[in-house]
Amino acid sequence: MGKAELTEEIELEISDVSGQKVFSVANAPAANTVGELINEVLPRMNLPRQNTSGAPLTYHARLEREGRHLHASERIGDALERRDKLTLQPNIDAGLC
Amino acid sequence: MLTFPYRFALTLFAEDGTNAGTALAQCDWEPVHEWTRLNFQRTGELAPELEDESASILPIWETKYGEPYCRGFRVEIARPGREPVGWDFPNTYFKEFAGTVASVFVEQKKLREGEVFTYIVVAHPGATEPPAAAGLRVTNASPGLPMQEGSIETFLARARPEGVIDADDLPVFVSAQVLEQAAAQTRAHKGTETGSILIGKLWRDLSAAEIFIEVTAQIPAEHTSGSNVKLTFTPETWTAVDAALRLRRRGEVYLGYFHSHPVFEWCRSKACTPEAQRKCSLARDFFSADDKAVMRAAFPRAYSIAMVANDTAFDLSFSMFGNRRGITQPRGFYILEDSSHGA
Repeated sequence: MGKAELTEEIELEISDVSGQKVFSVANAPAANTVGELINEVLPRMNLPRQNTSGAPLTYHARLEREGRHLHASERIGDALERRDKLTLQPNIDAGLC
Repeated sequence: MLTFPYRFALTLFAEDGTNAGTALAQCDWEPVHEWTRLNFQRTGELAPELEDESASILPIWETKYGEPYCRGFRVEIARPGREPVGWDFPNTYFKEFAGTVASVFVEQKKLREGEVFTYIVVAHPGATEPPAAAGLRVTNASPGLPMQEGSIETFLARARPEGVIDADDLPVFVSAQVLEQAAAQTRAHKGTETGSILIGKLWRDLSAAEIFIEVTAQIPAEHTSGSNVKLTFTPETWTAVDAALRLRRRGEVYLGYFHSHPVFEWCRSKACTPEAQRKCSLARDFFSADDKAVMRAAFPRAYSIAMVANDTAFDLSFSMFGNRRGITQPRGFYILEDSSHGA
């Protein structure tokens, strides 16, 4: 496996926090950012994109191979390798509202 | 994959019967789909490994007026070589969305603030495929239900019920130790919301044709920020829990979350009288929209649960919530006097 610099699309596995919803993405564009990938894949995974007040819900992608959170602006082709596993982790409030 | 052969819409009527307007129903169908699948997996009519089945949302026509008026909808799940299975849901499922539409209509002066309104549901044939995905080829590779085999009788023999047990709910057994730890954590953070992630096992009893849950442990949620009205779970929270879960190596899975409600603090800030505090709707079985949002984003499976410690001026009690017929509702559970490691 290697960085996806030379390929236009790469294959990834993305799961929710619980690991019980897992989706394979066959063609993540190497030129896109991680933030764009998250935005596009959320509805396909039936995960909410907004909080209760309608504000965007923030998810961070954790790259299992490196054990770190990816920055939304990182380019897929720079940061990811073929068949990398990402976990989408929300920053979310429980509360009185 | 969920498909929508029909488009649903809500028409709202003002108190005097005036038509306030119609809006295309933009509901969250995932909870009803999840619940329907689990319901038939419990009865053995759907395989436990089934995850990416073909399912549809279909209208149930109103008996007297017929199409396009609906009295509800059906979630129908296809089974290869067999008749599909389905579950019917009433129009009350649209209540939350109707409230959202009503708020917009209030802004548009189509309804008055606080006005009582009614709604009807209609459906018209629509696209048979879900909205086309722009680019990404995504396939569901989720694992089936992560179950182990065990006897529910063994659990029931050493358990006592807490709250109202509903046959529609998946039986949930919580170790007494988990409750003690949650209570201790709540007291240690007196006046501030605190939380943890509930982990454990899904069991299947083949002879009783039942699936049930055992909450074996709670992992305190680190890297959170809490106040008296809010608890924020951060990405670091989930990473820490994931690491703890892997270290335990006990075949446990995420089951849900626990958090505390410092009700006494809420009441104190509002200067509620002791009598008012005793009758307060926040004192027990209160689960806010934000609390539900955490369930939806982090624990969307139909078997997922949430537990709340109600810390009032008078006592500390626990409430549990889960998906019943597509809606997150208070539910009962069983307290296990000792934890099991193999049923």
